[in-house]
Amino acid sequence: MILNHESMKPIYIQIAEWLETEIIKGSLEVDDKIYSQYQLADLLNINPATAGKGLTKLLDDGIVYKRRGLGMFVTENAREQILLKRKNETLKVMVEDLVKEANYLQVSNEELLRMIEATRNKRGSD
Amino acid sequence: MGVITSRQLTKSYRNTEAVNQLTVQFNEGVITGLIGRNGAGKTTLLKMIAGLVKKSGGDLSVFGEDPLNSLKVSANSIFVDDQLPLPLEFKVKDVLKEFERFYPNWDIELAERLIRHFSIDLDALPINFSKGKRSTFNAIVGLAAHAPLTIFDEPTTGMDYSARQDFYRALLKDYLEHPRTIILSSHLLNELEDVLEDIVLIHDGQLYLHETVTSLKEFAVGLTGDSSELSSVTSKYEVLHKKDVGLNQQYVVIETQLEEKDEEHLKKMGVQITPVSPADVCVYVTNRENGGIDDVFNRSKHV
Repeated sequence: MILNHESMKPIYIQIAEWLETEIIKGSLEVDDKIYSQYQLADLLNINPATAGKGLTKLLDDGIVYKRRGLGMFVTENAREQILLKRKNETLKVMVEDLVKEANYLQVSNEELLRMIEATRNKRGSD
Repeated sequence: MGVITSRQLTKSYRNTEAVNQLTVQFNEGVITGLIGRNGAGKTTLLKMIAGLVKKSGGDLSVFGEDPLNSLKVSANSIFVDDQLPLPLEFKVKDVLKEFERFYPNWDIELAERLIRHFSIDLDALPINFSKGKRSTFNAIVGLAAHAPLTIFDEPTTGMDYSARQDFYRALLKDYLEHPRTIILSSHLLNELEDVLEDIVLIHDGQLYLHETVTSLKEFAVGLTGDSSELSSVTSKYEVLHKKDVGLNQQYVVIETQLEEKDEEHLKKMGVQITPVSPADVCVYVTNRENGGIDDVFNRSKHV
């Protein structure tokens, strides 16, 4: 994980999204322990308060739960929740940008859909 | 909780106030960056906190005491700058040995490991070191002291880029193992903002802002685009900085985040929205009265 300082996204959001991606990919499964605040700080070379903020966001969103003295663990429906959120928020914004650019370039609906389809076929199922 | 609290703190040298009725608090267990232009009063403030300089007025409390002549403060704090007075005949290894007597938490093993990492000779005399090497040595001493209050005044002066990166990393790792109050003054905010939690910006001897790094990153946004498009929106906001960046193109920095509808409108108009680093925010807010360097060369303004 490399932090992007040029991004409009605050560091703690980048950390939360990175851990979410690990859950989507299956590297972190239900009831798996996630990094502690101090491990994250060491790993990413950031102040532990910033790392803690990223974890608090996951906790607030119900992606992880806390076990006193033991750390934070992935909740049962974390994956579904993240997928739903990404679809409704991240993907939606990307589609809006895509449509905006297509309109700007006067690309028709059919042409745009053909491009999406071709890209999907080329990339397979990843 | 404030381990250091000042109220209306003032330090005058002849007719000038280096620190001028400064009211500020430094939080316990936090790494705070003390930022300000040359002559803002950073060093004077830090020296008063360490009990090395006598205040002229106001209140200052460190660990609940006036730091001047306080045994409690001197036993629990270390002040590191590029001087760190040492006896002339002291070799590196003598310093390491002597510091053990002053600092109860002195971590000789860490000091020796760092000395080795930075290829410093144990038999060398610190007074013969280059500027960068001397800074590195002082910084090592400052870290290894593990003092509950650790103050670094411009610790990286003269260090090369790689030594600075190593120092920031060592600072963070040591802080993770031994959390304590650390204050660090520096002009290289861009380089070390990630390891800081709080930022205190002082200007003309007074407090300008005290924020967490996270909120300072959201303090302002930069907009680049067509001048007329921009001005229709930015008139509603506090403008911190403005610069021409091409034919009818401007870069405008506004305080606070954009309202959602303005953001959408600007994006539609092809305006680029970019974050503004804490370092740049500090430059813009302290430039507000005098304008930027470009204004010096803008002769039409002075007629």
